[in-house]
Amino acid sequence: MIEWIHPGLIFIFGTLLIPVLRGKWKKAYLLLLPIAALIDLILMSKGVFGAIPLSVWHIRFSEYVLTFGRVDELSLVFGYIFVIAAFCMTLYALHVKEDGHHIAAFLYVGSTLGVVFAGDLFSLYLFVEIMAWASLFLIWYRKTRASSEAGFRYIMVHIFGGVCMLAGIILYVQNTGSIAFNAFDWGFGWSHLASYFMLTGFLVNAAAFPLHAWLADAYPEATVAGTVFLSAFTTKSAIYMLLRGFPGVEILIWLGAITAVYGIIFALLANDTRRLLAYALISQGGYMMAGVGMVSGTLLAADGAIAHAVCCILYMGLLFMAAGAVLEMTGRSKLTELGGLYKRMPATFWLYMVGAFSIAGMPLFSGFISKTMIIESAATMHLPVVWLMLEGASIGAFLIAGLKLPYLTWFGKKEPVVEAREPPWNMLAAMGITAFLCVFIGVYPQALYGILPYSVEYAPYAVGHVVAMSQLLLFTFLGFWLLRGMLHATPTITLDTDWFYRIAGKKFIWFCEKPLLDFADSIDKVLKDIANSFVWFSRNPTAASRIMVLTIGAVIARPFNPTYMRYERDLEELRRMYPNESVHRVAIGTGVLLVLMFFTLYLIIYLTHGVLWV
Amino acid sequence: MEQEKYLFSIFYVCVAMSILAGVLVHVFIPSHAAFIWQEIPGFSAIYGFVGCILIIVLSKAVGHQWLQKEEGYYEKH
Repeated sequence: MIEWIHPGLIFIFGTLLIPVLRGKWKKAYLLLLPIAALIDLILMSKGVFGAIPLSVWHIRFSEYVLTFGRVDELSLVFGYIFVIAAFCMTLYALHVKEDGHHIAAFLYVGSTLGVVFAGDLFSLYLFVEIMAWASLFLIWYRKTRASSEAGFRYIMVHIFGGVCMLAGIILYVQNTGSIAFNAFDWGFGWSHLASYFMLTGFLVNAAAFPLHAWLADAYPEATVAGTVFLSAFTTKSAIYMLLRGFPGVEILIWLGAITAVYGIIFALLANDTRRLLAYALISQGGYMMAGVGMVSGTLLAADGAIAHAVCCILYMGLLFMAAGAVLEMTGRSKLTELGGLYKRMPATFWLYMVGAFSIAGMPLFSGFISKTMIIESAATMHLPVVWLMLEGASIGAFLIAGLKLPYLTWFGKKEPVVEAREPPWNMLAAMGITAFLCVFIGVYPQALYGILPYSVEYAPYAVGHVVAMSQLLLFTFLGFWLLRGMLHATPTITLDTDWFYRIAGKKFIWFCEKPLLDFADSIDKVLKDIANSFVWFSRNPTAASRIMVLTIGAVIARPFNPTYMRYERDLEELRRMYPNESVHRVAIGTGVLLVLMFFTLYLIIYLTHGVLWV
Repeated sequence: MEQEKYLFSIFYVCVAMSILAGVLVHVFIPSHAAFIWQEIPGFSAIYGFVGCILIIVLSKAVGHQWLQKEEGYYEKH
């Protein structure tokens, strides 16, 4: 009887066969793994491995017990959506030739599932680290200079986040003696230092302002399929970790609301389509963080954050798939170099628009049934500013992802600016399935609400909600149409908080290489001069001291004695005669002999008198 | 051009319908507004329009004045 099968390990050990298989078999195998994981999850939810919540796979690790399988309703929801997303994304990436790309993607998915089912802090940390390193290769497989540099910055930031987490874990274990991953104490003061470190580590992964810049920096530089994978797992698993570790922490409400608005502003300034979407992704993460923060006031916020994470994985994936398809087929991703593609890629356009309507939260699309839960929570908790910020970010999401990007990519110019055609069948099919899921959740929200852990009653299609959201989006379109002249893209980049480590970091390295090294060199030189003078002196100490005495004498005698020239002459003579090389050269064997004699002497003293100089 | 006009006529119908629906909701469904501004009929429409324009103008201003740089910025500095 098998106690339990870890769905993450299906992906992680499943990678072993990828290099062995060829052609159609490999493609079938790649699609089979997510399906196997999904079946595993369904079996889990049906109680095959025991009644839920269950906690299995306890493994001893020094004096602690690791728990790899904590299964409850919260981890199951995330498990489902990660596996479903993995299927769609693998289908999208099916044409990718490099085995390494598939292996990196599956290690990434598998470790994310490891995070979701981790019941203790050590295994959580282990899987978070695997996630960071596996995802790095999805960036590096682009094989451009920009991607290699962005990848380095990406992993540096994640190492920082990982070290913060590790510090938090060590402090936590030190304080409590437990490694269980549950809600951490929250409050102000030194006694909560462990929580602060841990939260910082989580927020790096969640791409919260001001720790978000790695996402907009690295995701657009990843491979076409890599970005699609990246969009789903790191940030959403961080939302899961926040829900477990810091539910109802008030600072998250404000961080989330600020991140939501901040992402929108920067998305509007972006020229690269996938950077625009990356900022939209950051903004959407803000909603979920705010939701996690509002758990203290209403459980609707918790369900809202989870539902929004589910929907966001689907529609963000779809948006990145469609933008990636344009990049794959045209080789271009800058809005200034795109336009008029509707004549060539209409199917991609309409599939993109499903994602765009979903992110905007249009009724009948997935974003509507989840985003409004979080906004409604803000109303329930009477947080007017947060409500206005989140509602404003909805306007912005529609404006950037629903209007600006598609307008400048598929329209904006009369004729296509570049030759293009629809992407290959697997990309279209992946987009089709994802789009279907977006609409399905939109029109049949019960499918999603049914698996939410807190089972809060919420009616998204109340007339008031529908009318308000329709008005909001229709008038956003009106504003866009009036000001569309201002929205033309410019060939620029936008400075973000990564400036601090990109420019300041460069300055720091310059400081180390120039002033600091010069200073070190000057000290070096002084010490060498001193050493050299000793060497000079020891060549012939008698003559050397005579030269020194005469030099001083010459200086003193000069004003009083008209015959001081005599000194100078003597000095010249002495200096000329002074040996420049060492007087006696000995063979190397002599040196060795002297060393040996010294050691022998030391040994004798050591043996007869015990340790010397103690 | 014809198609654009056609699409815009649909858009205007939608706008009119949403306004009408908003008024109806306001009249017939008892309000449980959490914030004072939700009492204003058509607040969402106003917020959508004003918000959209504010986002565009503000972010463009911030971008042009401060944050947007030429593409080789990081290589140069």
